[in-house]
Amino acid sequence: MAKVDLTIRIAGENGEGVLTVGDVLAEALARLGLHIYTFKNLPAEIKGGASMVQVRVGDTLVRSPGDAIDVLMVWNQENYDAYIGEVRPGGVVIYDPGECEADAGHDAQQVGIPLQAITKEVIKVMKSKNVLAFGVLTACIGIPFEIGRRMVEESRWGRRKEFLESNINALQHAYDHIKEQGIDIGVRVPVNAPDSSAQLIMTGNDALCMGALAAGCRFYSGYPITPASDVMETLAKAMPRVGGVLLQTEDEIAAITSCVGASFAGKKVLTATAGPGLSLMVEGIGLATMEELPVVIVDVQRGGPSTGLPTKTEQSDLQLALYGCHGEAPRIVVAPTNAEDCFYTTVKAFNLAEKFQVPVILLSDQHLSQRAQGIPRPDMSNLEVVERKRPSESDSKDPAEFNRYAMTEDYISAMSIPGRDPQHYVATGLEHNEHAHIAYTPEAHLMMTEKRLMKVESAAKEPGFVDRYGSDDAQVGLIGWGSSEGPILEAMDRALAKGHRVAALIFKMLAPLPEAEARAFIDSVSVASVVELNASGQFASYLQSRLCIPLRRFNKYTGLPFKAIDIEEYIEGVINNG
Amino acid sequence: MVESVAEIPQKKIKDYRSEVKPTWCPGCGDFGVLSAIQRAFAAKNLEPKDIVIVSGIGCSGRLPEFVNAYGIHVVHGRALPTAAGVKLANPDLTVIAVGGDGDGFAIGGGHVPHAVRRNVDITYIVMDNQVYGLTKGQPSPTTPTGMAALKRSTSMPKMAPYEGVLENQLNMLAMVLVYGGGFVSRTFSSQATQMSEIIGRAIDHNGFSFVQAMSPCPTFYNTYDPWKEAFVDLPEDWDSADRIKAIDKVMYEERDGVFHSGIFYKTDDLPSYLTKMDSVYEKAYGGESVSSVDALLDQYA
Repeated sequence: MAKVDLTIRIAGENGEGVLTVGDVLAEALARLGLHIYTFKNLPAEIKGGASMVQVRVGDTLVRSPGDAIDVLMVWNQENYDAYIGEVRPGGVVIYDPGECEADAGHDAQQVGIPLQAITKEVIKVMKSKNVLAFGVLTACIGIPFEIGRRMVEESRWGRRKEFLESNINALQHAYDHIKEQGIDIGVRVPVNAPDSSAQLIMTGNDALCMGALAAGCRFYSGYPITPASDVMETLAKAMPRVGGVLLQTEDEIAAITSCVGASFAGKKVLTATAGPGLSLMVEGIGLATMEELPVVIVDVQRGGPSTGLPTKTEQSDLQLALYGCHGEAPRIVVAPTNAEDCFYTTVKAFNLAEKFQVPVILLSDQHLSQRAQGIPRPDMSNLEVVERKRPSESDSKDPAEFNRYAMTEDYISAMSIPGRDPQHYVATGLEHNEHAHIAYTPEAHLMMTEKRLMKVESAAKEPGFVDRYGSDDAQVGLIGWGSSEGPILEAMDRALAKGHRVAALIFKMLAPLPEAEARAFIDSVSVASVVELNASGQFASYLQSRLCIPLRRFNKYTGLPFKAIDIEEYIEGVINNG
Repeated sequence: MVESVAEIPQKKIKDYRSEVKPTWCPGCGDFGVLSAIQRAFAAKNLEPKDIVIVSGIGCSGRLPEFVNAYGIHVVHGRALPTAAGVKLANPDLTVIAVGGDGDGFAIGGGHVPHAVRRNVDITYIVMDNQVYGLTKGQPSPTTPTGMAALKRSTSMPKMAPYEGVLENQLNMLAMVLVYGGGFVSRTFSSQATQMSEIIGRAIDHNGFSFVQAMSPCPTFYNTYDPWKEAFVDLPEDWDSADRIKAIDKVMYEERDGVFHSGIFYKTDDLPSYLTKMDSVYEKAYGGESVSSVDALLDQYA
């Protein structure tokens, strides 16, 4: 059993810097060898509104945001009122008595520390309030001052040399204050935890960017949109360093069509967006399907429809990703499950796009994209990277004899590249024949429709996109996809520990559907239920339509991620009530 | 021993003709534009494998099919961002975007200012016939205001049966000049030699170059006769370095009932996107070899 499993939430007015406190704390704890799982819940405005970051820390793997808050730090009344109800009985609340009034009616140890007043009157540098708050937290959870000091020096606060002195001063005051007031919340985080596998600390979006570059992506075009803008900003710095091009376009339509152009000219290409942008891209995605051009499209899902919940999480773009387009427009849809997997699934997304010459949509979400995780450093020398099929040396150099869309056994044809291959052709969004010439005949449409469909259908046989966990003879079988994996597996483990027979099947590829695995799993469990963060059960409906098997559904649609306890209670309910 | 030098044979117009015969109506101005483009390629002796012609939707969007070169025929209105993607992916390519007035200035109009300010080194040829041809004669953004049912038009009366076209006519040259275009020109499909010369100079321009190629539609809006009368060359002493004069010129053409052909404005003082990228690379990796992706991971360690 875990000796340490602590959920810490820091909340204040948006723009005050609470997020930085959480980021630095999470990173510092991960550097001690502890496992972290962060969760951010922000308003959609730049200044104002309740803003919070939560850090769950454990000495064994933590896979969900945390069921209840162990330590809550709030900077003002609004956040006190908003979150006091989520503190576990007997938990700790650190509040600023100058900014808010504590309600004695709660079963929590409430500690008043005047953060604002100490910063203003003692530290005298308002920028150091973050470090004071950080110091209060690290002191409270038993991290020695010297380690706290090193954490500050190595953090983003340490890079601003002109503030370093006041920052260290603030840290010292925090430790002195905790000591003088005799505050002891009874928590000690180990400072020499055994696990040192966390060599890199990355958010889902960081890992996704590095995965794209590792796969050979050298062209990005995109339009700013929450919560996908991090991808563009990270690549704006990284892409030129590896000799690539990053283009901020005038809209998402230009983003996807620039990608189509660059892919036609031989580059591995990426665009990242969120739901509203994906809606604008669907025509371009159909174009890539028709012209058989590899393109990777990342959708960092947020709550919808319309502008919806720009800063909250949801798995509700699945149907758009699966079906969004006129005509028969097969594509591949994949979904990474955690920050580390964002790296590997992005590499695989590029490999699939190149191998099958199709658009690949990667479904991330706000929660996954922004949560930090300590991960082992990927071994670049062992990474499988796939390149698209090109004309071979033995092929005729004469364009008149080159069939860009040749029907082959695996439906994949060689693609010539402008500037490199003499076998020039005209790619067209109109129906065409093997020679790429426009053709409206029944034979041409039949042949090419089948080519596009069969090629993509065969991708369902690619290994490594479905994982089964838990009992072989489960009473309850949970089916999930993407970022819900962590909470599902944590809930499953808790149920198994109680002696229940529970299993889980997690999909990282949603289209084409790995149907055999789905069918075998459903056949092997007494009750199969699809667990996903949307209202209508989009994956459940899709599975049912493909498998013709009725499935139960467990849905959450609050804009917040699953907690393990949500799913644990659902499992209990199924076991007790059938 | 005679030293043998492998000569690159001079290409001819026919070397750029594809096996696909144009599907345009007899007398379409686009034939003249196609041949002017092919003539410009021949004059530069370009290798077909190094050319990419990008088009959207419309009669003129079919043009890449008829050229013996690489081409990409995309969705309606998106030739410009696609062309930018092609050029940025491989700067050694000659990239030409083509399309009509509806494709470029109605559905695709939002891309024009950004293509201009981005200044990627591509040439954009707009075959302007002031009408939607492929959908059979609806008014386009450049159809003259008040233009009523035409003698030979079948669809125009359906779209504007009472008062003619209500919307004002767009002045695409004024727009591109005001957006900050560094090469702004107009030619007429009936003046083949001048058109191929201007297209050639547009290709040579390092940056975004704009060619309004007036190209009548004899089927739905036959403007051959009035345009032959209205077309005059820019004065011989025209100063194409003066942007304000160029704007002035294009603003008064409608009042004066003339179309000028020639290069209204050209400047070499606007560095292209790719030229600017050189200094980005210089700063990003010090002009030496590029970083490995593995090295980029260090920032997360």
